[in-house]
Amino acid sequence: MTRANFRRAGRNLALLCLIAASAGLARADEATFIALPDLQQASGAEIYSHICQGCHMPDAQGAVGAGHYPALAGNPRLASWQFVALTVVRGRSGMPPFGRRGTDPIAFVGARLSDAEIAKVVNYVRSHFGNRYPETVTADEVATLPHPGAAERH
Amino acid sequence: MQEDSTVPAMSRRALLRMIGISAGSATMYQAMASLGFAAESSYRGPIDLQGAPKGASVLILGAGIAGMTAAYELRNAGYRVEILEYNARAGGRNWSLRGGDTYTELGGTTQECRFDKDLYINPGPWRIPYHHRGILSYVKRLGVPLEAFVQVNYNAYLHNSAAFGGKPQRYRAIKADYQGHVAELLAKASQQRALDDAVSKEDQEKLLDSLRHWGALDKNYAYAASEASSKRRGYQKEPGGGLSARPVSSTPIGLGDLLESGLWTGISNGDDFDMQTALFQPVGGMGRIGEAFGRELGSLIKYNAKVTDIHQDDHGVTVRYEDTRTPGAALTTRADWCLCTIPLGILSQIPMNVGPELAAAVSSIPYASAVKVGLQFKRRFWEEDEEIFGGITYTDLPIFNIGYPSTGYHSSGKGVLLGAYIFGMSGMEFTAMTPAERVRKAVEYGAQIHPQYPREFDNGVAVAWHRSPFTMGCFGIWNEDTRAAHYDNLCRIDHRIALAGEHASYISGWQEGAVTSALDAIGRLHQRAIAQGASA
Repeated sequence: MTRANFRRAGRNLALLCLIAASAGLARADEATFIALPDLQQASGAEIYSHICQGCHMPDAQGAVGAGHYPALAGNPRLASWQFVALTVVRGRSGMPPFGRRGTDPIAFVGARLSDAEIAKVVNYVRSHFGNRYPETVTADEVATLPHPGAAERH
Repeated sequence: MQEDSTVPAMSRRALLRMIGISAGSATMYQAMASLGFAAESSYRGPIDLQGAPKGASVLILGAGIAGMTAAYELRNAGYRVEILEYNARAGGRNWSLRGGDTYTELGGTTQECRFDKDLYINPGPWRIPYHHRGILSYVKRLGVPLEAFVQVNYNAYLHNSAAFGGKPQRYRAIKADYQGHVAELLAKASQQRALDDAVSKEDQEKLLDSLRHWGALDKNYAYAASEASSKRRGYQKEPGGGLSARPVSSTPIGLGDLLESGLWTGISNGDDFDMQTALFQPVGGMGRIGEAFGRELGSLIKYNAKVTDIHQDDHGVTVRYEDTRTPGAALTTRADWCLCTIPLGILSQIPMNVGPELAAAVSSIPYASAVKVGLQFKRRFWEEDEEIFGGITYTDLPIFNIGYPSTGYHSSGKGVLLGAYIFGMSGMEFTAMTPAERVRKAVEYGAQIHPQYPREFDNGVAVAWHRSPFTMGCFGIWNEDTRAAHYDNLCRIDHRIALAGEHASYISGWQEGAVTSALDAIGRLHQRAIAQGASA
């Protein structure tokens, strides 16, 4: 990366921060909440900090009680994007499924994320918290995974 | 806030709002019916466990309602019983947070509850329907005093931040107006002969009479400002005595505004089987039940015990565990049989040699996200200023509910509200916050309904169930597919291990599910124990 590119990258980062801040202001009436329709605009980082960190913790270190929430930081299982995406789509060992198709009530379950939203958050956790997996996953690739409730969609 | 102009966005928002308003309420419960909610208790009186084999033993994992129900009955039947419990207290999700209590959630944040003496919140269950005969029978046997839990309060609010300028509406007015308008419409349809195909002429006269009665219509079958409608929805000036006695009728909300507001979704909140009067709560907090069970079972319960391995063989079940106060040192215990009530998300992580069907069932049930926030205020302004005594306000705001205490009415001094009871997406977002942020947001949102909040707020506590070290979630969520694939497998005894808890019931998320599943499981275990007799 040249010096100029680096400076541009820095400016873009600053700009991104501003956009993020104003997006927060735009939702002032919803405060820190993302209403479901707004999730489409949310970044992977926002989806992580609004949903995932409830269990996996802000630093992605997980937690231990009578059971445990696995750390995502430095977790070798993240090497497989399919493993991560499938876990988000279908849930695992008590973790809720986020990729449920259809429109059946999921109120207690929590959020229903689109394939694009799942791709964003999968890419985010695989490239943050000390994880450096270079390849990214797209919504189309997430769509190829078996989703719960898929039969109801067609 | 205006509705979006595009139809799909509008319907999504409307749906969201509906879910927000009706969370834990009628509409939600109708929607959840297919998931096994609102099922009637299968409790049919005290269990008969005669003929326990001499010296037979049962190891119970978890001192929640299911585990302690089982322990109580098995001990009384002559079994040798031991319970391992992760927490330092009995009760599990049956729990009240009181002044002086501390609670450390996953992630390590410790909250100290600073409520005044006798004030509390119930982070878990907070109401017992009268027909939950199982849990009520143990409440009675344990001598825990009950009082009425107010579910429906006509003077509490229904609130949509985007309707009526954000002003909360009294439940009484919304219910009366909706009923009145619908009655008027039906009466008109009948008079215009639109119902002739469906209702006989004779019955239409009765229908008209009933509509006038039910909807508080006037003599012309109109729902309008009148003595009749004000008796339902409230007066502009209430009747009194003396010279100032004459009441002034109030004006109903128009049908269009009412429908547009979406507040009708909150009308049936008390109509569901689980929410119908009477409901009860233990005097002093729901946790009184778990505490009484704990006293009753005494030294049978080993606290601070974290189960790390469950292994059965032909003769019994060996459980490894560690004392959470001295982690690392492996302890073991053994019994002929094991009743395991550990929540499934945790159990799925504990090595246990059971068949593939049970193992699959254990790892297939996600847990609900739920958050409760308790807020202490310097005075009971909801009673003093707004005449709200018990009951629940429902709102489209991310706090979902405000629950008013069904106890201590008219007392002076401080009071504690349930400032939020949140499920789903908002529940997850609240879980992702620190406890202090949750409390702050609950105060901020609640102030839109009760402007007294900022001035009167004293302190608060917040419990996010996915951060609970002993459950890692609120309760097991089933759907039709998982019921069909896994429910029977989850409940079937696997050799010497049986599961129980609300997750092994069709009364998900209720204590009655825990009681009835425990009784069902130990009844079957008992039959096996008898069949094996002394050879066990």
